[in-house]
Amino acid sequence: MNTEILIQAIINGIMVGGIYAMIGMSLNMIFGVMKIVNFCQGELLMVSMYITYLFYSELGMEPFVAIPLVAVIMFGVGALIQSTMITRSIKEDGDQNVLFLTCCLGIFLSNTALLLFKSDYRTAESVFSNKVVSLGSMNISVPKLLGFVALCVTTVLIFLMLYYTKIGKQIRATSQNAIGAQVTGIRTKVVYACTYGLGAAIAGIAGACLMSYYYVYPAVGNIYGTRSFIVVTMGGLGSVVGAFFGGIGLGIMETVGSVIVGAAFKDTLVFIVFILILVIKENLNIRRRKG
Amino acid sequence: MRKKFGIRQILLLVLILICLIVPTFVKTPYMLGIFVTTFYIGCGTLAWSVLGSLTGEISLGHAGFMGLGAYIGALLMNNKHITPWVGMLVAFVVVGLLAACLLAPCFVLSGPYFTLVTIAFAEAFRNLFTNWDYAGKGQGILVPLKEQGMYSMRWISKVPYYYIALIMLIVFYVILRKIDRSKLGYALKTIREDEETANAVGINPFKYKFIATFISAGLIAVVGVFYANYIGYINPDIMKQSQALNYVMPAIIGGIGSITGPLLGAIILTPLSEFLSATLSHIAGGLNLVVYAVIVIAVILFRPTGIMGWFDHSKFKKKMNDRFDAIDAKLFGKRG
Repeated sequence: MNTEILIQAIINGIMVGGIYAMIGMSLNMIFGVMKIVNFCQGELLMVSMYITYLFYSELGMEPFVAIPLVAVIMFGVGALIQSTMITRSIKEDGDQNVLFLTCCLGIFLSNTALLLFKSDYRTAESVFSNKVVSLGSMNISVPKLLGFVALCVTTVLIFLMLYYTKIGKQIRATSQNAIGAQVTGIRTKVVYACTYGLGAAIAGIAGACLMSYYYVYPAVGNIYGTRSFIVVTMGGLGSVVGAFFGGIGLGIMETVGSVIVGAAFKDTLVFIVFILILVIKENLNIRRRKG
Repeated sequence: MRKKFGIRQILLLVLILICLIVPTFVKTPYMLGIFVTTFYIGCGTLAWSVLGSLTGEISLGHAGFMGLGAYIGALLMNNKHITPWVGMLVAFVVVGLLAACLLAPCFVLSGPYFTLVTIAFAEAFRNLFTNWDYAGKGQGILVPLKEQGMYSMRWISKVPYYYIALIMLIVFYVILRKIDRSKLGYALKTIREDEETANAVGINPFKYKFIATFISAGLIAVVGVFYANYIGYINPDIMKQSQALNYVMPAIIGGIGSITGPLLGAIILTPLSEFLSATLSHIAGGLNLVVYAVIVIAVILFRPTGIMGWFDHSKFKKKMNDRFDAIDAKLFGKRG
């Protein structure tokens, strides 16, 4: 195999990984604070892709321009879901109910999309859609590059928000100790709603970026939902920076993997690596605790 | 104290008898199909609940194990001409062992992490089967209707399938009842409540989880073999996570933690979903599943313990028990 193909594959991997990183980050946001694994993150992404599509088809809006609007709408959707449903089913004993609830929400969202938009594949053409930047012999597609830039900006913004704003500090306090935060006068319910909304908003940004070069259909959430779990476990649950590198790592693994084992079996490879990472990590944890 | 023959047993026998004579009254294949679907979904839910209800390990990858079973049954029949009855046995042992061995390193993971692993395994299997020539790739394989009869487990009529599914359901239920009340069942429930405590009182969590996974995945593989012969066509899509939810949602509705709950959930939920898909899906595709999901979400939000969880603590149960006891006393006199 020549190195040029490999380098091209790695670059593509980083670009694809940008989207994975963003979804992983959104999942991590929710997990880090509320300690629940949100099984409908992929469907939230799907919803945001459809919103972007609607902006495009009804108002003729460019997907990249629609990013802030989609993020705001998704924030609202997320906060609504959290405050009306998830709060009710978070209990001290076990998280089974939240697991089932988010699973069923996923079914609900994807079938609502099926109901409204039918199962057709839809695309939103961006001005940048078919543009390519050439660097020497390497080609990078512009929408993917812009998506990656959006990822970097988002990561920096989240970081600034978490460390320098009031709500960010409240979110961090709640994630460290919910009861303690409540004692100091933080309204944890609001914080939870904000966090879930923020998670949904990041998924929204990812969806809007993805829309410029990918198509949307009701079951698209499945692919990205499972990917987001992999990202999160690779980067460590609850860590935003971890998700950033986990996502890029997964992207590289996929593209390089498809060069090595063939595109057909790259998913199997990814899943096996995921399981291995999870198991080895847990075993190391146990060993550290024991000795 | 051994349970004596009483009104409860009589009612159960009557119920089974009614189930046995249903095909003589229900003639349309569509209605009979609903019964068969209910029965095999019930079987799948029961198989799932060995791991999900008794052990408390939520698996969303059971569709993958069911798909493996279906493929084993169909491939053995198509390529080696081995009867699906043997196929069921092979599927039980092979899939059970495979699942238990694959999941064994993952028993250390807790809660949602275990769920993630099961999803990943199912997806990996699906990916493998989508690209495997021998198994027909993404198009899947047909189980052709060349010869009818017991040996090939293929009939045009649905009546034989009805009886097979019914017997399978009864057998599964009896097995689960036995497990529930055996040492194994108590060990599993102890692990569910508190793994550390279980370890401390001498229950090896690893060993019991291994056994539970073996039984659970093996049983659902048997359902898979039945499914392959009943539908006559399988493709990798049956391993999807959304398919696994077909077996999980009845358990949620019925109440996780008991054996009767999942069964009851399947009996209520499957006809409901068939009814919804018959009446709503041609109005607009997807509407049936939206309604279905709303119902399940409502149950999770307002009755998180499910039907059995509510029933076990209700006055209704006490009243019914009293009444049954009274009838028993009247029928059989006083018994020590």
